[in-house]
Amino acid sequence: MALLEEDHAFEIADAVLAASEADETEVTINCIEDRFVRFGHEGPTQSADRERYDLAVRVRFRDGEGFREAKASSGALDEASVLGALGRAEILARVASPDAGAAPLGGPVEVEGSAPSRPTQDHSFKEKAEWIEAALRRCEGESLHGGGLARTTVASRSIVNSAGRRVHGATSRAEFALTCADAGADAETVGGSASSVSVRCFVDQVDVEGVIEDAVTSAVRARGPADVEAGPMDVLLEPQAVAALMTFTSGMGFGARGFHEGSSFLTGRVGERIFSEHLSVADDPTHPDLRGLRFDGEGTPRGCHPLVSSGTVHGPVTDAFWAKQLGLANTGHSPQQPSTSGPSAGHLVVAEGDLSREELLDRLGDGLLVRQLHYVNVVEPRELVLTGMTRGGVFRVRGGQVGGAIGNLRFTQSLVDALGAIDGVGDRAVRVGSLMGGELVAPALLIRGFQFTSKARS
Amino acid sequence: MVTPPVKSSPSHSMEALARSAVDEAMARGADAADARLVRCAEERLVIQNGALKESDAPEDFGIAVRVFKDGAVGFAAAPGPYSAMQNAVSGLVRRCLASARDLAPLRRVPVRLAGRADACGTFATPVEEDPFMVPLEEKLDLLMRASERLGGRREVVSRLAGMSLRREEQWMATSEGGSTHQVLVRSGGRIEAIARARGVVERRSYPNALEGDFRSGGFEVVRALDLEGNAERVRDEAIALCHADICPPGQRTLILGGGQLALQIHESVGHPTELDRVLGEERDLAGGSFAAQTDPGSLEYGAACVSFVADSTVPGGLDTRGWDDDGVASGRFDIVRDGKLCAFQSGRISAGRAGAETSRSVSRAEGWYAPPIDRITNVSLAPGHGSLDDLLAETEDGAILADTIKTWSIDQERRNFQFTCEVGWEIRGGRRSRLLRLPTYQGSTLDFWKRCDRVTGPEEWRLWGVVNCGKGNPMQVAEMSHGAAPARFRGVQFVDVGSSVS
Repeated sequence: MALLEEDHAFEIADAVLAASEADETEVTINCIEDRFVRFGHEGPTQSADRERYDLAVRVRFRDGEGFREAKASSGALDEASVLGALGRAEILARVASPDAGAAPLGGPVEVEGSAPSRPTQDHSFKEKAEWIEAALRRCEGESLHGGGLARTTVASRSIVNSAGRRVHGATSRAEFALTCADAGADAETVGGSASSVSVRCFVDQVDVEGVIEDAVTSAVRARGPADVEAGPMDVLLEPQAVAALMTFTSGMGFGARGFHEGSSFLTGRVGERIFSEHLSVADDPTHPDLRGLRFDGEGTPRGCHPLVSSGTVHGPVTDAFWAKQLGLANTGHSPQQPSTSGPSAGHLVVAEGDLSREELLDRLGDGLLVRQLHYVNVVEPRELVLTGMTRGGVFRVRGGQVGGAIGNLRFTQSLVDALGAIDGVGDRAVRVGSLMGGELVAPALLIRGFQFTSKARS
Repeated sequence: MVTPPVKSSPSHSMEALARSAVDEAMARGADAADARLVRCAEERLVIQNGALKESDAPEDFGIAVRVFKDGAVGFAAAPGPYSAMQNAVSGLVRRCLASARDLAPLRRVPVRLAGRADACGTFATPVEEDPFMVPLEEKLDLLMRASERLGGRREVVSRLAGMSLRREEQWMATSEGGSTHQVLVRSGGRIEAIARARGVVERRSYPNALEGDFRSGGFEVVRALDLEGNAERVRDEAIALCHADICPPGQRTLILGGGQLALQIHESVGHPTELDRVLGEERDLAGGSFAAQTDPGSLEYGAACVSFVADSTVPGGLDTRGWDDDGVASGRFDIVRDGKLCAFQSGRISAGRAGAETSRSVSRAEGWYAPPIDRITNVSLAPGHGSLDDLLAETEDGAILADTIKTWSIDQERRNFQFTCEVGWEIRGGRRSRLLRLPTYQGSTLDFWKRCDRVTGPEEWRLWGVVNCGKGNPMQVAEMSHGAAPARFRGVQFVDVGSSVS
């Protein structure tokens, strides 16, 4: 099976629109082709060669100033399944309570189309096996246990609505990730451990050799971590660690719902400089390392949208509903509707600075180099107090020189305060992901007085 | 009502299709094979601020084929409808075998399956009231009444009432002669109020945070939650939290309510005792485990009053079923008994790798789209004795009663955790006194469970459903339940979050 071509997707959607009895109808068709191999130190543990469809029908009946609205979806695209979804959505919507705040569906728009990467789509298990074999051999040479993921995915989304909107786009993604660690239950607290990942838009951009070299050498270097007491410390956060923090700003920080409810750091502060002047952030699906869809969950066009300029925060990102509620422009950040979650900035790009790695370490002076953060979560949303653990190599830095490893530490830190304490930004941003979901482009950040609150083995 | 989303299925043809996939795989040279057809239907309704903001009725149907060849595993999956799956079977089998052949040379140790998957039979969740046959108007009325009672105070900036109903039907065939058919139904819901006062925003949820609470069963589960009857209390507590002091830091006695204990069990007992984590196969994303393969029988996991039981047969459990996705029959076993670690949770592959003869039936996949992996089953803290009131009455002044998860974080070896609850109360005079916000406690798993000196009794014990357990890479979501009664822990460290929060 292949992803649906634009014409084919529109044809299916048009059939649903033609059959709909609703005042407004929106059809979203998502397609995905996915191949992955997950591996441990004894070889591949799971793999999948799979494809999936999701056709969602959103229907709306006018009621006074608003709409009665509902959605239903089908994982199959045959006529009976698709019309079954339409029927379920209509039944739900007819009995729904009206939403007076709902805005009408948007009309025709022009968006830049995109096609899947054929080499990424065709990347085989045999080729993934070559990546994995190279990683395992290198790990075995250093007596490390390797594990990770080789994955290629192509996806498409088509949205057609009864107001005349017709948009279609495709994305591609390729990933090679390697974690290597000493064997045993204490691997990550007594032995050495490190991860590295290359996530790119096209399979031929994936830096397999770089990932292997980075993970293996860092894990070897992380062996025998020293015991260090928790407390405030200056840190150089590598991009993976930055991603684990910044991903929490997408919805809770920059989204209109949290802004309205008062739980966002933006509430009452728009136009103020609340972060370090070193920090600039945009939501940018056009970035060459992201290449996201050029439209949101309602088909509204989106492009590069500034969020923070030299520490000064702009207004929240919106969708049709929240733009109407707050009297703001629709910035094109809607999830697939209807949804309670509110808009979010899903293509964050933290602007590069001008400091090389050596310059960052030199400016850090004495502190810690943190490669990765694990299981970060929100203690308090307004100041974005986050807690989580270091992972995959924490190194002492003395006089700008990277020294030995230390044991993992827990932090409890306001992200608003941390972003206000940035004292240097790296000159190379890369695409990285987070355990809690989401990917962004970020450089390394030097942050003063980061609050570590306990040790892994306390 | 929505038309019944899962029509009466021609089971024999589903079984035949699964069987044909397995037979073709074996004919083409597989060493072993299984096939699953999975059909899911769900109904999600969420009222937000008085309007129906989420009303979704997704259906999903597909086939997964898994083959074992030359010590490696291949997996391929494709969506329905039935005719499409019929046409896809041969291609899926060929793709499975091809990927297994490509990956086999990489296996340092061949995959070995523990035990056999030769069970035949049917299983269906006991349902008193089919949730998909209850009129939609009645469901919305139930939510709307709860939503209205969450309002009426100017401090409330967001109120939410929701329910989710799910039915999964699965047909499975194995090359060892297994043939099973299961119909699993679960239901649940929640309410939530977010209040703002004095520049503070606080949330209060019932019966639990995140998605709410769920049990296997029909609409009777939703009715029993009494969302409307709890709405005003939830609203008032959300407002009161905005005026409450932040829980002070320091070391003191902690009593955890059942909902919070369920999360504590999930993170610090459920995950570290998954055998694939113990074996290091999850290290690349979720992490490993502080527990070693040789620890059962010797590791002191907690105090003598602490016992954990795994049970995929317990009534109401979200992982209560006939067989896991390896085709192995459900069962009950001790994970920790009287404080000592007894066993890990395993599937056929992890048990085989560990040299065990049988699996513990915890291998599960998210629908048809993903390969099965070891998942936490229903893992519960065994009840002790006495009521919560008795426990409060015998607890010293200054102790904290905390409940309902607000945020959670635990390290990659499941040692150091830090959890924040929605609500806390200081204990004075043997009862709840001052309300406290952001009670945040931190500890180390084994040390924490050794600090438990009392678990309340069966009258306080109940199952709590978890519907958002993420694991694997790519991530899969699974559901399970944890039974708990409130319990007391001595000398727990509370974290200073007040200095970061205005």
